[in-house]
Amino acid sequence: MSDTKKWGWRGAAGFLIRLALGIAFISPLIVGLCFSFQDEQTLGMYPLKLLVSNPTLENYGKVFTDIPILLYLANTGIVCVTAIFFQIILCSLAAYAFVFFEFPMKKILFSLVLTTTMIPGEVVVITNYTTIQNMDLINTYAGLVLPSLVSGASIFLMRQYFLTIPKDYREAATLDGCGNMGFFFHIVMPLSVPTLSSLVIYLFVQIYNQFFWPLLVTNTDRMRTIQIGISMLVTADVVDYGQILAGATVAILPSALIYIFGQDYIIRGMTAGGVKG
Amino acid sequence: MQTTYRKKQRRKVSPLPYLLLLPSMALFFLFNFYPFLKAVILSFSLTDKRGNFAKWVGLDNWVRVLEKESFWKVVEVTLEMAAINLAVTFLIALVFALLSVRKVRFSKWYQTMYALPMAIASSPAAAIFLFIYRQKNGLLNNLLGTSIGWTRQMPYALWAVCAMTIWMHVGVSFIFLLVGFRNVSQDLLESAWLDGAGPFARIRYLLIPLASPQLFFVFFLNIASSFRSFAQIRLLTGGGPANGTKTLIYYIYENAIINGRFETACVQAIFLFGLILLVTQIQMALEKRMVHYQ
Repeated sequence: MSDTKKWGWRGAAGFLIRLALGIAFISPLIVGLCFSFQDEQTLGMYPLKLLVSNPTLENYGKVFTDIPILLYLANTGIVCVTAIFFQIILCSLAAYAFVFFEFPMKKILFSLVLTTTMIPGEVVVITNYTTIQNMDLINTYAGLVLPSLVSGASIFLMRQYFLTIPKDYREAATLDGCGNMGFFFHIVMPLSVPTLSSLVIYLFVQIYNQFFWPLLVTNTDRMRTIQIGISMLVTADVVDYGQILAGATVAILPSALIYIFGQDYIIRGMTAGGVKG
Repeated sequence: MQTTYRKKQRRKVSPLPYLLLLPSMALFFLFNFYPFLKAVILSFSLTDKRGNFAKWVGLDNWVRVLEKESFWKVVEVTLEMAAINLAVTFLIALVFALLSVRKVRFSKWYQTMYALPMAIASSPAAAIFLFIYRQKNGLLNNLLGTSIGWTRQMPYALWAVCAMTIWMHVGVSFIFLLVGFRNVSQDLLESAWLDGAGPFARIRYLLIPLASPQLFFVFFLNIASSFRSFAQIRLLTGGGPANGTKTLIYYIYENAIINGRFETACVQAIFLFGLILLVTQIQMALEKRMVHYQ
C-alpha cells in the first residue's frame, strides 16, 4: 500500500519536473508572446516585466496596418499549396512507377533519385538562383516554388509505403478491368491517405519555414513570404521590438499549431524509412 | 490466367513508367544535377555579373580561395560551430528522450514541448532571440544585470548563434531518439528490471545499444544540419563580429549575392559539398562497424 502511494508521489514529481523542463525549453516562445503585448515604451523600461498591468494589442494593430503581413501570409500560402500539391502528385507517380512496374533502366533511375538526396539544397542554391534569374522568374511564384516541386526524400517515402501494398491487389484490379492509372487513382492513392497526410504536414512545416530560397528570389514587398517579411523587420534601420515580436508571433502560429495537432503524422513522416533498424 | 498476365507484362516495354517518372526526373535535372554541374564548372571559370559562364580560368579560383587565410578561418568557425551544436543538441535530445521513454498520462504535454521548436521558422525565432540578446534592455542582460552585446562581442556571438541553432534542432533529434528508445521492447526492459537492473544499467546496457541506429543517425544528422544553418547567422550577427560567426554557407551567400562573386561562391559550395560528403562517408564506414541492428 505504502509502495503504491510512494510511486504515485514520485510519479507526480517526475511528471512536474519533466513539464517544468518543457516549459523552460519553450520559454523563448512564451517570452515572445508575452512581450508582444507591451508597447515600445514599456519594452524600453528597466527592468523588463514578463507580465504588465497594461497589456496592449497596439503592436498587432501595427503589424496588420504598417506592413502587408496578410499579403506575406497569402504568398506563403500559395507557395505551400502549390509545392505540396505537386510534390504529392509527382512523387507518388514516380514511386508508383518504381514499385509497380518493371522496365529497363529502373535501377539507374532509382539510384538517380537517391543521389539527389545526397546533394544538399545549400550547395546548389546559388546556381539555382542563376537559373531562375536566367528564366526571368525572380519575384514570381514560379521562381519561389520550382525547386520545391519534387524531392527525392518524398519519392522514397511514398515508395516505402507502396511496397507494403500487396501485389495481388493489382492483379485483382486488372482482372476487374481497372487500368494502370485507374489502379493508381482508385486503389493506391486512397490506401495511402495516412502516409500522404504525414507527408503533407511534414512538407507544410518545411516549406512554410523556408528562408534561404525566398530570400534570394524575392526582392519586392508584393512577393515576399512571411519569413522574409519578418526578417525585414529585424534587419530594418529602425527596429520596433513590440511590432517585431507581434509579427513573429503571427508568423509562428500556423506552423506551431499544425505541429501541435499533427505531430503524430509528422513523426511518422520523419521516421518512416528514414533509419534502418 | 495469372501466367498469361505475367507473360504479357514481361514481353512488351510500356512507355507508361517513363512517363510517370518524366516530370520528377526533368525537375531533378533542372534543379539538382544541372546546378550541381554548373557549380563545378563555374568554380573553374570566370563569371559575368549574373553568375553565368564567361571564360575558363582553370584552377585560379580554387587557388585564390584556398590560399586565403580568411577562408580557413571560415572553415574553422564552421567546424567549431558544428562541434558545439552537435555535442549540446545531442546531449539535450538524449536527456529529453530518456525522460519521455515511458508513455504515461499527459506525457504528450512535455513531449510536445521538447519537440515544438523544430516547427518554428528561423526568422521569427531570430526575432525573439534578438530581443533576448539585445544590448539595450535585452532580456538576458536584464536577468544577469549585465550590458553585454551578446550578438556583437566575441566569444558571446558564437554562443548566441549556437544557442539558437541548438534550440531549433533539438526537436528532430529528440523525436528520432524517442522513436528508437520506444522500439525497445517493454518486456525486455521489464525483465531487466525484475533481474535487478537499475535505471542507469537499463539505459547503458539496453536502451543505448538497442537504439544505436537512431543514436548514430542523429549524431551525423546534427553535423549536416549545423553546416546548413543560415538564417540565424544572417539575422543575428551577419557573420560578425570580425567574421567570428561567419560559416561556409553564410560566406557563400555573401560572396554570390552581396559581392556578386559567383565563381568564388561556387568554389566554396563545392568545398561544402565535399565536407558533407566526407562526413557521410565517415558515417557509412563507421555504421558497418558500430551499429547494432536488431
